[in-house]
Amino acid sequence: MEEGRGKEEGGAAVTKAGFSDAATVRTWVDGLREQWGEEPGDMADRLEVFQRFCAFVEREPDAIIEECSREVEGGKRIRIKKRRFYSEKIDEFQASMDGDARAQARAGNVVRSFMIHNGIFMQGGVSG
Amino acid sequence: MEFKEVVGRRRSIRFFEPDKPVEREKIQVILETARLASCAVNAHWLRAIVVDRDKLPPDKLNQLKTPVAALTLDLAPVHIYFFCDLGVVKRIKGSRLRELVDVGALAPTHGWSHKFVDEFVYPQILEPMTNNLQGYLAAAMADCGGAAQNALLAAFDEGLGACLNTPNPVLTKQVFGVPDDWVSLWVMLVGYPAESWEAGGQRPRPVFEELYFEGDINTPFRRDSGVVEKLKAAGMITRPAPLPERRQEIMQLAERLNLPM
Repeated sequence: MEEGRGKEEGGAAVTKAGFSDAATVRTWVDGLREQWGEEPGDMADRLEVFQRFCAFVEREPDAIIEECSREVEGGKRIRIKKRRFYSEKIDEFQASMDGDARAQARAGNVVRSFMIHNGIFMQGGVSG
Repeated sequence: MEFKEVVGRRRSIRFFEPDKPVEREKIQVILETARLASCAVNAHWLRAIVVDRDKLPPDKLNQLKTPVAALTLDLAPVHIYFFCDLGVVKRIKGSRLRELVDVGALAPTHGWSHKFVDEFVYPQILEPMTNNLQGYLAAAMADCGGAAQNALLAAFDEGLGACLNTPNPVLTKQVFGVPDDWVSLWVMLVGYPAESWEAGGQRPRPVFEELYFEGDINTPFRRDSGVVEKLKAAGMITRPAPLPERRQEIMQLAERLNLPM
């Protein structure tokens, strides 16, 4: 286990401090900053939701992205089965959240946003 | 709307008002416009199946979703599936060419006669063409593309938004049970735009002179800036993307439709 990381309650494999340092989380935050022109005001909330998702699937952020892609000659490829797996996990996670359908979808979209900004193509449905 | 303005306003719309129905009459206008497209040998390969998203059983709708088009299928209330009917030439055997001779569109002044169609064009050109699948597909699909473009422009002329997507051809054929010799082409998603008509601005295009030539391949077609100005005035060349307000627009759409950012 890497320094600063440990198993949290609920099975999360990353501490809060280590979590923000993960390369894929940094990529996500940078992507959001680029998209919005500044870091979203609710970034801390988003990170918290995403950390809950990591606990939900018992994976570190970098591991999620690593699982969903593979290097081949000529570039990167998305692993379809893993992408589908996480897409379903996001739906499950979303359904497990408190609040109305719109609030639940918002939580799912936080995770989808993490995937999207790390190059894993993903779409949510229309809700709310 | 004037023709040039229709061309200028057309762009792929990907944010639709999911709950605003599209009038049936407007869909008919789209199909009527497709039917009037130019078509080689008057064969008319394009077929369309119009689908009301909310009337499609959910399992079928989910089957039709591709990873890239899942959201737009959810957002657009009407989906028009386009197919290429490869069997048409062998079925009509030149009869539509004969029709063109009958109505004077193909006249003896240009060498056309029933005998020419019956003894030469069909048996020596059209029928053999259908046996060379690669060449036949290219020709038939090019004509379908023209008809689909007519349909797209009609949608915008009717005040709608639309975009073409490529569905999974195997699943599309399964879901709609079309004949074996129909090739699945595109799905045109239609609805009222949730985004502004500019949708971020006119999309970037390659440089004019890199695309078009005059006389030979070494001489780019000279682009007259006066013509460009006229097209701007007519609404065909519009504000280019990116528009400064686009980021804000996407953020608002994401918030309203509850989409990831």
